[in-house]
Amino acid sequence: MQTNTSQPSQEELYPRRLHDLEQRFGTLFKELTDSPQKEALSVLHGMMLEMWRQLRRSSSPLSERGLTIDDIADLYRHAPKMEGERRNTPLAPGTLAPDFALPDASGHIVRLAEYRGRPTVLVFYPLDWSPGCSQQLDLYQQELDEFERRDARIVGISVDSVYSHGAWAAVRGIRFPLLADFNPKGQVARQYHVYRDDDGFSERALYVLDERGIIRYSHVSPFLHHVPDIYELFAALDGLRSKAPEAAGVAK
Amino acid sequence: MIRASSWSPFGRQSAPPHIPVVVYGTRWCAATQLVRRHLERLGVPYEYVDLEQDPAAVAQLRWWTGGFSSHPTVYVGGEVLVEPPSPS
Repeated sequence: MQTNTSQPSQEELYPRRLHDLEQRFGTLFKELTDSPQKEALSVLHGMMLEMWRQLRRSSSPLSERGLTIDDIADLYRHAPKMEGERRNTPLAPGTLAPDFALPDASGHIVRLAEYRGRPTVLVFYPLDWSPGCSQQLDLYQQELDEFERRDARIVGISVDSVYSHGAWAAVRGIRFPLLADFNPKGQVARQYHVYRDDDGFSERALYVLDERGIIRYSHVSPFLHHVPDIYELFAALDGLRSKAPEAAGVAK
Repeated sequence: MIRASSWSPFGRQSAPPHIPVVVYGTRWCAATQLVRRHLERLGVPYEYVDLEQDPAAVAQLRWWTGGFSSHPTVYVGGEVLVEPPSPS
């Protein structure tokens, strides 16, 4: 792999957040009339810029120290945002979850029917490497023992390939299965009414299935960047033992 | 992550929270959920402030973070951590 050893990017030179603050300062500054106060503010601004320059000199730029796994794992922080509104309504609780067979990152075919006998959480997410998905799956990885304590399996499903899933899971340390709804693209997402035709990927959606494969809880995030509430998901799993199927609801 | 102090050279801007750890965030923010669950797993008591339910907290946050209501923001005994790295 080749790494870029030329000039640092604009982002390395000046972080986006600092840039945004700078823009805001500039807008407000123009509204001030000339005065000693305005001059004092400009001195402060100059001090801030000088401090930033000093900080840059004291730390090695990315291109000099080389790319690390953490740098790759954090790429999502600077990736384009994903903020579209929900387009679909999920299958209702009480419905038998459509069966499917999809490959995991190692190419092993996973059939939903094999998961009968234990509660299952299906996590439809838009894309590997993207902003919300990275942290959403980090959250589930952090909470794997909580899913196991509830005797529940969890699987991620997106339209990415098995190779993307493999690389992404390795970089993020994700140990639960990621299934490739790759060909025909989004077929399973369509079966579950969560495919976004205009975007070519799925909604951010959750289904909780009971041990018989019946949908007991479904959720589509109102916006793509909204990650479902983990406490609500735990409550849905806890409710499997205490509630009748008709008592579960569709969360939006 | 940006570190800031709730202390200003012109005096304290607000009364200190009674609980030493306060998490400001939203229900739908993954990073907020990661931080909250991490604290719970460690058994660290904290106060959670939902920014969508508390306009006053949003104003406080804007002061701390230079005009943004960044989430999560974590207050730990006088130090304010803006969008801290994931616990992992």
